[in-house]
Amino acid sequence: MNQRRVFITSLTALTLSPWQSTSATPSDAMQAMKAIVGNRPVNTGRIYFELPPLVENGNLVAIKFSVQSPMTQNDYVKALHIIAEANPLPNVVSCYFTPLSGKAEASTRIRLADSQKVWALAQMSDGSFWRTSVDTVVTLSACTEMI
Amino acid sequence: MRLLGQCALLGLLLTSTPFLQADSRVSAYALMSPTNQAMQNDMSLNPAMFWIMDGEALWIDRNNPSSKACGDCHSDVKQSMKGVSATFPKRVQGKLLNLEGQINQCRTTRQQSPAFAYESKPLLALSTLIAYQSKGLPITASKDSAIDADFQKGKTLYFQRMGQLNLSCAQCHDDRAGLKLAGSVIPQAHPTGYPIYRLEWQNVGSLQRRLRNCMSGVRAEQYPYGSVDLAQIELYLMRRANGMRIESPAIRP
Amino acid sequence: MSRSSRAVVTLPKTAKRGEVFSIRAIVQHEMESGFRHTEQGVRVPRDIIREFVCTYNGKEVFKADLHPGVGSNPLFIFYTKADQSGTLEFKWTGDNDYLTIVKQAITVL
Repeated sequence: MNQRRVFITSLTALTLSPWQSTSATPSDAMQAMKAIVGNRPVNTGRIYFELPPLVENGNLVAIKFSVQSPMTQNDYVKALHIIAEANPLPNVVSCYFTPLSGKAEASTRIRLADSQKVWALAQMSDGSFWRTSVDTVVTLSACTEMI
Repeated sequence: MRLLGQCALLGLLLTSTPFLQADSRVSAYALMSPTNQAMQNDMSLNPAMFWIMDGEALWIDRNNPSSKACGDCHSDVKQSMKGVSATFPKRVQGKLLNLEGQINQCRTTRQQSPAFAYESKPLLALSTLIAYQSKGLPITASKDSAIDADFQKGKTLYFQRMGQLNLSCAQCHDDRAGLKLAGSVIPQAHPTGYPIYRLEWQNVGSLQRRLRNCMSGVRAEQYPYGSVDLAQIELYLMRRANGMRIESPAIRP
Repeated sequence: MSRSSRAVVTLPKTAKRGEVFSIRAIVQHEMESGFRHTEQGVRVPRDIIREFVCTYNGKEVFKADLHPGVGSNPLFIFYTKADQSGTLEFKWTGDNDYLTIVKQAITVL
């Protein structure tokens, strides 16, 4: 009886993708954000964060984010951090801008291990923080390769 | 798993005509999200561009026993290879060869070098470079009657059930194209974009790699790379897709 | 001796002073995450680009810290304000002595 249970468990383990062997949790994502923000307050909003609500393959997901800002020496967006709740590591990419950037906007392509909430956290030159999130469903192609 | 089993048990009728109607043929491009379509269309966003660049470097590389580069015989790839991948597989010196097979034939006979392994960087680079020269052109599959027997064999394989799931290519890609399999829409399976940059692979890969994926998907023993069976299936697919626009190198999820 | 790979940058050859224009930078790199395993169950070691920096006449205009969650062949599309004619330099650094530098000139009218 026990042998059969072990067999079924290990069969299930074999079918799980490598990504699911380690996975962050929402609290890991919160910890990652806390490491950046410390004890300072975080406002909600202000960031335009584009991430497809349905992803055909999590290996290469196009994202775009921007923050409206004059981008002057006195008032600019210093950094924008992308943090994923269900990737093996919560920190995905951090982009740093300067007044010479002209626009606090960037696009890149990230990996998403699973359906999850993804956060965008912006750090402003005046020390304030803003954040927003997008929920996404990540599917996998059928007929995947034998590993 | 159960859904596939039920589909197999249902045993729907196969289409009576050997090919899909010309006007109902659709590339899997149409099934992709706008972002992935943009990634395919814009070469500055398409990761396969790096394989094309690697191919361009190999095209002029003389570092082999013959000291001849591809370009020494074929000169400018943009001229000499235009429309070429659209015609493969075809009969070359009595043998049914696909594009990779032809590249390797040049490699072994004229460059006196060992053949490139399937899915190796150099072979993918050269096949992507050559296929790219046919982008936008229609597939002009070989009508050579000498390979009609290969075509018939390829067709038989396409309609033959295989694997533990006991499914044929036709049951998904003819009968159920447009329906869903595990959340993804089943494409008609036209070879218009190969070699593809498949997001699943995070890499460029050949049509044979994709065919072998399908075979492992139905839990069948995969035909080896470079086998005549895979070349025959390729030939069937190309004639079936004759006239459709080539998109190489395509992006696929 | 550092490892390097192909990089392609796309930006206009000329721009008007004060104009904000977009730049695309893509580099050939597998970004091996360190979470994949071989058929034998052995973990494939992490090998990624860690940082991408764009400077314009020596001044930083954009920087990114990359983690394993960034996709293969990393692409960044970002902006900069046309200031003086000169050179934009794009630098990627990463694990196992990875270093790629690309430079592109720009004329500001």
